[in-house]
Amino acid sequence: MKSKPSGNEGRFAYEGLDRVIHERARLSILTSLVTNPKGLTFNDLKQLCALTDGNLSRHLSVLEKGKMVEILKGYEHNRPLTVCRITSSGRKRYVEYLSALEQVIRDAAKEAKEDPKAKLVRGLRPSKV
Amino acid sequence: MNDLYKALGDISSIRRQMASTTEFRGYGPATLATTGLFAILAAAAQALWLHDPAHHISAYLGVWVSTAVLSAALTGVQMYNRARRIHSGLSNEMLRMAVEQFLPSVAAGLLMTIVLLQYAPFATWMLPGMWQIIFSLGVFSSCRFLPRPMIAAGAWYLLTGLSCLAMGGNRALSPWTMGISYGAGQLLVAAILLFSTPPENEDEV
Repeated sequence: MKSKPSGNEGRFAYEGLDRVIHERARLSILTSLVTNPKGLTFNDLKQLCALTDGNLSRHLSVLEKGKMVEILKGYEHNRPLTVCRITSSGRKRYVEYLSALEQVIRDAAKEAKEDPKAKLVRGLRPSKV
Repeated sequence: MNDLYKALGDISSIRRQMASTTEFRGYGPATLATTGLFAILAAAAQALWLHDPAHHISAYLGVWVSTAVLSAALTGVQMYNRARRIHSGLSNEMLRMAVEQFLPSVAAGLLMTIVLLQYAPFATWMLPGMWQIIFSLGVFSSCRFLPRPMIAAGAWYLLTGLSCLAMGGNRALSPWTMGISYGAGQLLVAAILLFSTPPENEDEV
């Protein structure tokens, strides 16, 4: 078999798609935090991302382990308050992820433009055979 | 295809939102201090070679417009390179926002100069004061994405601009009305940037 030209090697590897971020819940947590750099309370984050307490805690601890978010526990009006904030390295990794994701979509859009048959394929259901 | 373009639009709107909450670090203190020195040099040149600016307004404009163009070019080139390095992933959005904030005052200053020269040549003594006031508006509008103390630089330019207007005559065309206001003003801007922003090697987007 003839090997492909080396120019195309790894063209669709998308190594910038960080596995920690590439999960729906974590992506929505980070997107909420990145657009609110002063931080969000646990409850606000829960509502914005439509997650349960347990799910949000689990994903936050993954992000905290990856040093992408910091969780600050304190009190407001004598009531415990948890504030989540994106870290500087979290912002950096998120922007890199966004660039990789943008590249994926650009490549897909380019392919769809170049190959008109793709339009036909889009409307078809997969065969059940 | 529409879904793909919508996704690209969403990504770009996230980037814009991020850029709007990020402090712009594209202005380099050393470059801005250099533009202040340009202003002092231009004032010295005017003091040496242009003794009666009120009757040689085109020479006066030549000195200050060329100083402004040189300073803007230097700041622009350095801002582009610095933003690319520091804001990497967000550099385009950050640069666009920085230009959008300052460009209206540059355009207003340019148009005001043309109108005064064309239709009110007797009022050209107002030019330095008006330039400084318009420049202060540019600084104020950029303050949102710059360190808080930058308001002091805006206030400085506003104060010097009003003082120039208060002189009420050709004295306002004296070399040091521009030299001191832009020389000290740009040095103040550079000092604020130097002492209010974290070191360049710190993680940033």
